[in-house]
Amino acid sequence: MFLNIMFLLAAGATIGGSFLTATSKNLMHACIYLLLTLFGVSGLYATLGADFLAATQLVVYAGGVVILMLFAIMLTGGVREFVNKFGIDKVASMGTVKTYSIAGFMVVIMSFVIMKILAPIFKSYAPGELPGFSTTVEKIGTLLITDHVLAFEISSILLLGALVGAAVISRPGRTR
Amino acid sequence: MDYTISSVAPIVLLPFFAFVINAFLARKGGKATVAAVFLACASIAGSSIYALKIFKDFVFGNYAADYYIHKVFTWFDLNGGGQEFAVNMGIYIDNMTAVMLVMVTVVATMIHIFSTYYMHHDMNYGRNGRFFVYMSLFTSAMLGLVLSDNLFSVFIFWELMGFCSYSLIGHYYEKEKTGNASIKAFMTTRIGDVFFLLGIVALWTHIGSVSFVDLYAAIANGAFSGVTVLGIPLATFCAVCIFLGTIGKSAQFPLNVWLPDAMNGPTPCSALIHAATMVAAGVYLSLRIYPLIELGNLNYFVACIGGITALGAATIALVQTDFKAVLAFSTISQLGYMVLGVGVGSYNAAFMHLITHAIFKACLFLAAGSVIHSLHDHHTHEHVQEMPRMGGLRHKMKFTWFAMWCCTLAIAGVPFFSGFVSKDRILGDALVMATHSPKWIIPTALGFIGAFLTAFYMCRMMFLAFHGKPRDKEVYDHCHEEHFSWNRNLPLLFLSVFTLGIWFSGSLTGQGVVKVADAHHGKYEWFQTLIQKPVVSKFTTMQREDFSGMDTRVKNSAEKSHYDHNHGLNEEEAHHVHHVHKIGAIASIFIALGGIFVAAMMYLWNKWNPGFWVNTFNRYYRTLQNKYYMDDLYIKGFIQGLLIPFNNLLSRFDMGFYDKYVVDGWAVVVRYLMNVSKWFDNLFVDTIMVDGTGASVRFFNVILRTIQSGKIQFYIIMIILVIFGYILAL
Amino acid sequence: MISLPSYLIISFCLFIAGLTVMIARKNIIAMLLGIELILNAAALNFAAYTRFINQNLDGHLMSLFIIVIAAAEAAVGLAIVIRFFQIKESIHIDDATELQS
Repeated sequence: MFLNIMFLLAAGATIGGSFLTATSKNLMHACIYLLLTLFGVSGLYATLGADFLAATQLVVYAGGVVILMLFAIMLTGGVREFVNKFGIDKVASMGTVKTYSIAGFMVVIMSFVIMKILAPIFKSYAPGELPGFSTTVEKIGTLLITDHVLAFEISSILLLGALVGAAVISRPGRTR
Repeated sequence: MDYTISSVAPIVLLPFFAFVINAFLARKGGKATVAAVFLACASIAGSSIYALKIFKDFVFGNYAADYYIHKVFTWFDLNGGGQEFAVNMGIYIDNMTAVMLVMVTVVATMIHIFSTYYMHHDMNYGRNGRFFVYMSLFTSAMLGLVLSDNLFSVFIFWELMGFCSYSLIGHYYEKEKTGNASIKAFMTTRIGDVFFLLGIVALWTHIGSVSFVDLYAAIANGAFSGVTVLGIPLATFCAVCIFLGTIGKSAQFPLNVWLPDAMNGPTPCSALIHAATMVAAGVYLSLRIYPLIELGNLNYFVACIGGITALGAATIALVQTDFKAVLAFSTISQLGYMVLGVGVGSYNAAFMHLITHAIFKACLFLAAGSVIHSLHDHHTHEHVQEMPRMGGLRHKMKFTWFAMWCCTLAIAGVPFFSGFVSKDRILGDALVMATHSPKWIIPTALGFIGAFLTAFYMCRMMFLAFHGKPRDKEVYDHCHEEHFSWNRNLPLLFLSVFTLGIWFSGSLTGQGVVKVADAHHGKYEWFQTLIQKPVVSKFTTMQREDFSGMDTRVKNSAEKSHYDHNHGLNEEEAHHVHHVHKIGAIASIFIALGGIFVAAMMYLWNKWNPGFWVNTFNRYYRTLQNKYYMDDLYIKGFIQGLLIPFNNLLSRFDMGFYDKYVVDGWAVVVRYLMNVSKWFDNLFVDTIMVDGTGASVRFFNVILRTIQSGKIQFYIIMIILVIFGYILAL
Repeated sequence: MISLPSYLIISFCLFIAGLTVMIARKNIIAMLLGIELILNAAALNFAAYTRFINQNLDGHLMSLFIIVIAAAEAAVGLAIVIRFFQIKESIHIDDATELQS
């Protein structure tokens, strides 16, 4: 039951977020809606029992990529209306109903995810008994090192390449 | 004796190879020309050796009147192997051929040797040996004609000789009259040759072969009976046409105008070609096709032509003052005698006269050349040829004088010389024919009168030139004494030796005395027995047979006939002939001696005045001087009157109509077609295909260019669409 | 009620949305957002299949790698965008038509 509700919430967040990303005119709003979508996807991962995946999704995607996007938008002056809407002369409000609802939604989902992950903790264990919940972390870790070590290593090199490449491409001072 | 082509072919091929080599070698000048001359003389000498070998085999070996050797190869066959319309080339040697070969080669050798003396100063042996080049070609052609076994090859060699004659007459081509003379010679003989070819073709069409052997067989088998061409019996038609070739080549009555002008050539050429061999080729041809002439009842016609020629030329020769012109007309006259002999039926005598005439006429010409060469006019720097300027030369040129007298006596018909033997026999046979029917009296009379005139004018020539007082002192003084030089005098003496009658016949009348004794045949006349009319009945089995894949056939007649004392006649006829011949011989002797006597009276002892005769027959004299106006007839009558207007008409047609309408009209048509083609090219090729291709490319380019818009979102859409399409298609 | 098709439908909707963003928007960074949505759709798909069909966690790993790659790609992509902005002074997609024929 709990799972169904969480599924519905996460699904709704995903689909709604994606729809709104597609249709919103404002680029910043689109990024925020993307964030919502990513939270929803994370929740979906949680309902699937992929706890590690959900956590990684939150950390990397929601915490990394979107922030990166936002930085890039701001660096390239992507959204002109942003300056008009929330200009210096106007008092920046804390947000509208929309933003708060979105945030609350996200919190709910996140909490659900964490609760799902940490659900076995709330059981009482007799002293000396290890918690019987199984996370996928251990299995994924084992798989990474044994079966898929090649992909693991190559992805590490890829990340190195991406890091160096990104730094080199956008290096200031490169003449035309 | 088994003859192969290789034992006979050198006769023709040696001079021919000499010609080919000399054509390149002789032009070089200097030592090369000397080598070329030597090669020419050596080649003809080699041919004479082969000819002598054949002669020896025929005369001293297989002695039979109808023995012959015939070798054949197929030149081309229009029926593809069926021999229906095949032309087979080959050699045909019978007794007549053997004798003729010897005569031609030996006389030609002598003339070549003489030419080394005569042509020595004419710009290095005849303009760098050109003379010898043509002489070699000529001798090879003549020998080929003598050896040939069919009319086609006769015609080929005939024409080749005509070309050589043209080249040799025109040897001194800077003089305009020489060029005209050579063209005149060629054209006149050409007229005869056209009819000759017509005769050959008519013969070929009806018989299917042009070989002599097949001709004789066809006559024997009666292939000619009842066949007519244009209403004329075939035999007559063919015989007339072929005989017209003889008329042209042997300078008989209507076509004799070229021979006097042929004297413009060098004297050795005149000796060889226009005395001994080429003009004799016409008579040789007539002798070969004699059965056809007999079958076509042409004897009287031939005899009349011969008689007219003999007498006409003799009369013209009476009034000539040029040394060589007298000899030229005498040649025409003697050729007339030969043709008269053919017509009368004395096959043997005509051929003998051919041989003897060749020898003494060649000697006469060479001697004349020697005389002319020695007489030099210092004013005009030319050699003197006019007899009025000669006289008394016998003191200066003894050898030439001696040789010329031998030959003159021979031609005059003095007994014990060869000319008497042959000419008398002709006249005797003519007399026999005259006793049979009156119409033969005319040729006979012409012959006898001509004999008288022959003796007269020849001796006149001799007396004017060699005897008496020198008329032109300057010329006489500058004339060199004659020393014996081997290449000038040896040929003369050699030839004059053979003017004796003993070589040809042992008797006065040429009947019945031993010349060659043979165990089989007893005593007989060699020449008279050797050469006889081809008996066509012996050829019936020799006609065209299936070759069965082989392309040579050898036909030897192994039959040796017996010497017929009566020459095929019964006893009474033979006695009659013998009797008439005796009468004719006596008449000939008187005529000859009479002619010499008259000439001596007029020119040697100057008792009778020739001027008297000239004045009495003044108009006739002038006619004779103009050669019966025959040249004028041809030039003014035919050429200027007929041919040139016709030529103008044709040229008007050609230029006015053909050039203007046909040729230029064709150009107009072509130009129109060119415009059509240009329109087509512009429309279809240029506009549609070439420009159209470009336009269509550009059109599609506009459409296809949008694919590469550079817009990323377009590319993404395309990718998605293609993937979805691929998934759907699966 | 929670079954494989429902996750697939969600994944499908995410994909469509991402595709729409990529095609329809004219801002390069917006297109990158679309790319992220698409990648997430794929990862969700993998994870769903692991749960319902194949239980050996290969799908989870694939999703993990997708996340890693997506992060790297976002970094490099944004670096390119910044470079593009430095050159062209614009981040409109229609300005990136150097390959136009």
